[in-house]
Amino acid sequence: MSVPAAERIRKAIAVVNAAADGAGDEEITPTEIAEAIRDCLELPEIASIPNVRKYLGEALDATSDGMPADFVAMTLYAALGALREGHSLN
Amino acid sequence: MRSAEGRGRTLDEAVDAALIELGETRRNVDVKVLRESPDETVVEVVVIDPTAEATASSATPVNGKAETVRSLLEGLLKHMGVRASVQVRVGSDPITLDVSGHDLGALIGWRGETLRALQSVTNVMVGKHLNEGERVIVDVERYRQRREHTVREIALRAARQVKMTGDAITLDAMQAFERRAIHLALEGDPDVTSSSIGEEPERRVVVGPRKPAE
Repeated sequence: MSVPAAERIRKAIAVVNAAADGAGDEEITPTEIAEAIRDCLELPEIASIPNVRKYLGEALDATSDGMPADFVAMTLYAALGALREGHSLN
Repeated sequence: MRSAEGRGRTLDEAVDAALIELGETRRNVDVKVLRESPDETVVEVVVIDPTAEATASSATPVNGKAETVRSLLEGLLKHMGVRASVQVRVGSDPITLDVSGHDLGALIGWRGETLRALQSVTNVMVGKHLNEGERVIVDVERYRQRREHTVREIALRAARQVKMTGDAITLDAMQAFERRAIHLALEGDPDVTSSSIGEEPERRVVVGPRKPAE
């Protein structure tokens, strides 16, 4: 699996999870979540792997639509799964 | 509920003294610091009794919403091929679902990553049964609860060290629920303060001395 891509998606998941769980001393805005997802979309290596870009795009749309953080997280997990699957097929 | 008071020179010694009296391990107890001075620490150690909760769970009717959520998670696990039972933790708010069974390590994953994913999926599945902003907590083999106890102990130990040295301590990177457990454990301490630094997933709690003005 592409380590930088996986790491960036994991980072985006961590940001979303932190927004959902809330440690109490910070507030994560949808803009920060969107930035973390855009960082993933910028990676050239995801273009060749089916569905990763699609799921990331869906996660970004869900964020801007104000969908619950858990929904965004689940879509990002799907992107991570597609990335892993894509690499095992290649 | 069984409990015992422990005294010792350090927090560890005080907890150990109470554990010996109770014949319990750290895994099954909750620790509350009653008094702390440079010479002596006094703690109250309370045994968390899962059998008592299980008995209460069978005796107490679970509300309809919690039961719906419980059966949805049980169904998901069945589809995943995981043999496990799901129970609603009594008196929990938000609704907390306890998953138990054999060899559920894979369901917890590295540092609880898979458990966190399972919680996300569960919340998406049950969302329409919940009120706005309401969420469900999923725990596997009480991992989350144990982890909260562990980080609370880490927080108390860090606080003690900060009081002795006057220097701030940066803890390991933790998930949001773990950081929250630390902030809650230390919020009543007049001598130390906690805050988080860094970016996810490397965000860490810093425990430092409370300045007089704070």
